[in-house]
Amino acid sequence: MSIMKNIKSKLLLCVSVLLFTFSSFANVAVIVNSANSAAIGEADVSRIFLGKVKAFSTGDKITIVNLKYNHETRNEFEEKVLKKSASQVKAYWSKLMFSGKGKPPKELASDKDVLAFVAATPGAIGYVAEGSVDASVKVVKTF
Amino acid sequence: MNFKKNKIAKALLMVGALSAGTAQAEIVFNGFASIVGGTVSTDALKSDGNGGTIPDDFNGYEDGSFDFSQDSLLALQASSDLGNGLSVTAQILARGENDWDPSFEWAYIAYEATDNLRLLAGRQRVPFYMYSDFLDVSYAYPWITPPQDVYSLAFDTFDGLAAIYTTNFGEFDTTFHAIYGGNKNEMIISGETVESPKFENMMGMSVTVNRDWLTLRAAYFQADMDIPLQNDGLGYLSDAWSATPYSDVASEFVIEGNSGEFLELGFQIDYNNFIIVGEYTDLTVDETPIAGGESMYIMGGMRFDDMLVHVTLGATDKALDNFISHVPTGADPALDGLIAGTQGYIDDAKNEASYVTLGLRWDFHDSAALKFEYTSYSDDINSDNDAGLFRTALVTVF
Repeated sequence: MSIMKNIKSKLLLCVSVLLFTFSSFANVAVIVNSANSAAIGEADVSRIFLGKVKAFSTGDKITIVNLKYNHETRNEFEEKVLKKSASQVKAYWSKLMFSGKGKPPKELASDKDVLAFVAATPGAIGYVAEGSVDASVKVVKTF
Repeated sequence: MNFKKNKIAKALLMVGALSAGTAQAEIVFNGFASIVGGTVSTDALKSDGNGGTIPDDFNGYEDGSFDFSQDSLLALQASSDLGNGLSVTAQILARGENDWDPSFEWAYIAYEATDNLRLLAGRQRVPFYMYSDFLDVSYAYPWITPPQDVYSLAFDTFDGLAAIYTTNFGEFDTTFHAIYGGNKNEMIISGETVESPKFENMMGMSVTVNRDWLTLRAAYFQADMDIPLQNDGLGYLSDAWSATPYSDVASEFVIEGNSGEFLELGFQIDYNNFIIVGEYTDLTVDETPIAGGESMYIMGGMRFDDMLVHVTLGATDKALDNFISHVPTGADPALDGLIAGTQGYIDDAKNEASYVTLGLRWDFHDSAALKFEYTSYSDDINSDNDAGLFRTALVTVF
């Protein structure tokens, strides 16, 4: 009985650690240029960021912008939206790059840089921590 | 060697020159490398058929020594965007097993005709298998190298044209990759280095369908073949059969104007922490001295953080047709001798084998992974060929 209790309390501890870990992550906002009127569904987001969709529903060419490798928000985005680890994403782009089928997206150093790029580029799509979003861009989805 | 280096330098210069005139005169360099060490253990010394023995080796590895050159490679890719959808790419690859002699693995001009259609002209990969496009980029897949019994055709590249069309049916992303061309490079066929083989009118297509965690693939190719094998045994058998009333048998030992067909089916499930991959191939090279047949594998893997543990089961079943079954025995002692010799050749060409590979991939670094693999190989016809291969690899992209 006491063993059971022990297990129960350990499980509770595990669950609370997990919950705590998850809640400590900030949400990620996917952003586009404020003039972009394209319809972008939840499933489209991951396909766009994996380079599988090259144009918006409006027909405009997509320019993806990424945060630099191992950036906290990027890891978060890749785990939540792409459902891949950083090295899996790197392997994915290696496949495309060395077979001439695609180029990894442009990488910028900070949320600020991404906001500035998206605000200035009509076909751009990027993501930043939800807290960094300002009026210069339009939020498509928050994950 | 010098000549080759010269050619490579010239080509790099050319890529530079082509891009120099455009606004985006930028050449992007990328590369990848695998440093692989391995050793093999075999049960018995193999008989050479004449009372002697031959050194134990398996996929280029020898018993009792640790080899670092067999599967090691380094590649450098230069590409330049010329604007208006045009780009030039060259990939130079040096393999340890070829004394690190560099050669062009890819060299092509690509044109993005539309967002969905891409045209390629030059040297490129034949999309024979699921991992053809990035065959040497070990960083991009779980194993050190893809299962060698399935990935066993004599060549992987071709010179010619390709069209890659991508489209989506709902959430199914579909890629059609069609090619036309040939290959006349020196290659190893039936264990023999053939200086000038001819694979011509090679054509075919692969179709890949992907949705979220599921990928399905099918490919079919055919080619006309002229392969001047210098093997004395084959020459002897061919000449000997020409002198009999069954001279049609003679052509079975010569590859001239023959055609070859290749079929591949594959799938991949990449769901959360699980990965399952399977591939099946069927090679048909009728009326040639090369054994055709089927080969397949299935791999299951599981990820734990930076680790991927995987198991692969594979099997191969290849053979020659019994092309002397219509020749009567006991009619002529000389003919009987020839039949026995030919039957021996047909029996030797038979390959029935299975293998199990256990592997670990550890992504210990942003751009590099460490891999360990052990393969236990069983030859179902001659257990003297059983072997255990251990390899470890450091792989990277840059």
